[in-house]
Amino acid sequence: MSIWARIAGWAALIFGLLYFFVPLGGLFEFSMKARRGVYSFDAYASVFSDPQFQQTFGYSVIMALVTIVIGILIVVPTAYWVRLKMPWARPYVEFLTLMPLVIPAIVIVFGYIRLYNTSSWLPLTGSVMGTNVLLAFGYTILALPYMYRAVDTGLRTVDVATLTEAAQSLGAGWATILGRVILPNVIPAVLSGAFLTFAIVIGEFTLAALLDRPAFGPYLQRVGANKAYEPFALSVIAFGITWGCLALIQLVSRFSKSAPRKA
Amino acid sequence: MPFVIFVTMFLILPTMNIIVGAFQTSDGSFTLQNIIDLQNGTIPSSYWISVKISVASAALGCLIGFAMAAAVVFGAVPAWVKSPLMTFSGVASNFAGVPLAFAFLATFGPVGLVTLFLRNNFGIVLQRDLGFNILSFWGLTVTYLFFQIPLMILIIAPALEGLKKEWREAAEVLGATAFQYWRMVAFPILFPSLLGTFALLFANAFGAVATAIALTGSSLNIVPIQLYAQIRGDVLGNPHLGYAMAFGMIVVTAVANVIYIWLRIRAERWLK
Amino acid sequence: MSFLTLTSIQKSFGPVQVVKDFNMDIEKGEFVSFLGPSGCGKTTILRMIAGFETPTGGNIEIGGKSQQNLKPNQRNIGMVFQAYALFPNMNVADNVAFGLKIAGMPKAQIDARVKEMLGLIHLGHLADRFPYQMSGGQQQRVALARALAPKPQVLLLDEPLSALDAKIRVSLREEIRMIQQQLGITTVFVTHDQEEALSISDRIVVMNAGRADQIGTPFEIYNKPATRFVASFVGTLNLIEAKVVDPASNRISIGDQGITLREPLGSVKAGDTVSLALRPEAGSIAEGAKGDTALTGEVVSSNFLGSVIRTRMKVGNAVISFDMFNAPGLTPPAVGETVTLRFTASDLLIIRE
Repeated sequence: MSIWARIAGWAALIFGLLYFFVPLGGLFEFSMKARRGVYSFDAYASVFSDPQFQQTFGYSVIMALVTIVIGILIVVPTAYWVRLKMPWARPYVEFLTLMPLVIPAIVIVFGYIRLYNTSSWLPLTGSVMGTNVLLAFGYTILALPYMYRAVDTGLRTVDVATLTEAAQSLGAGWATILGRVILPNVIPAVLSGAFLTFAIVIGEFTLAALLDRPAFGPYLQRVGANKAYEPFALSVIAFGITWGCLALIQLVSRFSKSAPRKA
Repeated sequence: MPFVIFVTMFLILPTMNIIVGAFQTSDGSFTLQNIIDLQNGTIPSSYWISVKISVASAALGCLIGFAMAAAVVFGAVPAWVKSPLMTFSGVASNFAGVPLAFAFLATFGPVGLVTLFLRNNFGIVLQRDLGFNILSFWGLTVTYLFFQIPLMILIIAPALEGLKKEWREAAEVLGATAFQYWRMVAFPILFPSLLGTFALLFANAFGAVATAIALTGSSLNIVPIQLYAQIRGDVLGNPHLGYAMAFGMIVVTAVANVIYIWLRIRAERWLK
Repeated sequence: MSFLTLTSIQKSFGPVQVVKDFNMDIEKGEFVSFLGPSGCGKTTILRMIAGFETPTGGNIEIGGKSQQNLKPNQRNIGMVFQAYALFPNMNVADNVAFGLKIAGMPKAQIDARVKEMLGLIHLGHLADRFPYQMSGGQQQRVALARALAPKPQVLLLDEPLSALDAKIRVSLREEIRMIQQQLGITTVFVTHDQEEALSISDRIVVMNAGRADQIGTPFEIYNKPATRFVASFVGTLNLIEAKVVDPASNRISIGDQGITLREPLGSVKAGDTVSLALRPEAGSIAEGAKGDTALTGEVVSSNFLGSVIRTRMKVGNAVISFDMFNAPGLTPPAVGETVTLRFTASDLLIIRE
């Protein structure tokens, strides 16, 4: 390794790290400048006392949890069934789960608005509850690539067929097998998928804005257009939540790696 | 199977609906007029700006991400850097959206950290002296790079690790210089991965909506922003033209992704 | 005047000394194998000859020219790696042509040379294939052709057969030896497989912990192992502890059976223990077998290995294995039976280290 290669390597790395950390630092610094001349947490205080913050944030948390539950209910049985009974279908299912990465979210929600509007056969957008359901389904679709990959990877490490046969020979039904045998074995994978889903849903903007739901993402954008320092404090909070979730994923995956694994 | 029904209802049908809508008149008969109408008004220029931003952020992301990944994989920097960098990249590559826009506003905006730092210490005013404005083509590109670079690192690092030490040694012992090795062996091996990742980064930038809207509002006329406005208020005056625009987005990202997958399969075949 | 000379070569990685004072002269056209367990330093020496590692001390000369300040790409050496290391982006012909292109040879000459090399390895019909389309054995033959194409001064083979199936391993090693003799190229071959080394080498270097324990022809290495390590690493060997009875007349005893050795015992005194080595194929228990020496013992096991039957018998505290060739009508000795093994006293080697 020549000295020039080393210098170039360090230069690239330092440039990249500056690129990542300066904006984060800038964001944090700016969020504390609400009071003239000194750093303060005024913007945060203002944010936390805003009832709209509490409402939208609470709404997004609930949506995230609902999305995670729907995601688990849909993804775990599917991934399990495909592994066990329909290995030929795997490429197709994988392809489907990757589609949300190809089709921009804005196009998907455009389709929702057209397909499920008040005058359609399934007028989901006609009622508040219906729109909430539609939003949760939309989030599930957005999270599908991450959720499916996490669960499928988790299933790969356990011997699905043997576990199933063992449970069947002990008289377990399908619901018991899935809920009490398979799910506990892929909990780390499901958790990492769940945290990622949480991080995505909390900050999501496009779907919530276009379906006109009071979620955190649109609130953040609205505040950004009207107030000076609060949006930056909110962004710091959003960053904190996202990075917290992703740190938890790291923790979970490290934990599951250190657990003994059968061949 | 519930999965198939779910995906059909909330992914396939809505998308098909848009695609079909793009080829329909308002009374439901088939037409190509909507696609032809994409050439009118501000639409071509918005596609053009979108493509330019996507290309620029993908190209720069590839370049910088490659340099960083190479520095770590080839041992120019200490080995312990690698694991935190990969973890960090995994996190940052998922990070688009409204908060990211504010982070860059707080840094490069009119009263941002870097802007003030340059003005107070060097007397450089970003907008006046360097022609840089965060609410512009370059501003958006620079912001997108925040998730483009980590994505590149994430995808290209394994490819760089796939370059076997023996290939370099075999080339060396046959008389090749380091440059010849890179030109005749390493670069051709990496080429599909590089091009494929470029396509993925392109699609990634092209579909990004939230960052763009939060950063520039409606001041920058890119496709996602225009489509957003169209959905909210039919600014184009023809719903089906909106479908055609969405269809155009799908086509662009789909083509980029197909290129990515195809090249990736090629690259993996070699690296087997 | 030797062609490849290694003088007092040393190599340390940090505090670990991997090669300790290694000396060797290799003649032009000679096929030399470095044989030893993993971590004995054999590959490190090979990599120092190639120029990938710089010796901590000592000198390497090829054709009278010191290689000290030459980079790997200036040494004109051919090398074959364990993992083939064919360039995956090039087909067979381009792989073989690589060194020639680098050397700036005209296209027509390159084509002719590539054709010649592919003929040599009998793969002329696969010139357009890519590495991923070929078997391991084919890839390694291409790697050999690639290494030989630029007419290197020395050919280095770094465990080239280890990744291959047993059958291909045998046929390819014969092919390598044939090509080597045909071209008369000086070759250094690194392996941990003693059978491989014995079957194709002119000379073998048995390495242990960074040193050469013994350098000699395969015949010498096998029949006259210089150290306990060589004796145990190469082939199967009985190591027998014996008691010195009378140093002056070379009398020793195994169990309570006395034997007179041919080799002088040297400076030992009565009552000392010496280690003796005996190859399992050196003796016979057949009626009327030749041999001036005999040991009688009780059979403890008898294993049928196909062409031979390996029997173990107990003599005092020592267990001695011996082989007999399988033949129709042969009855293997039964466990518990008492047998007498006859052999020539000169086959009983004294292991001094």
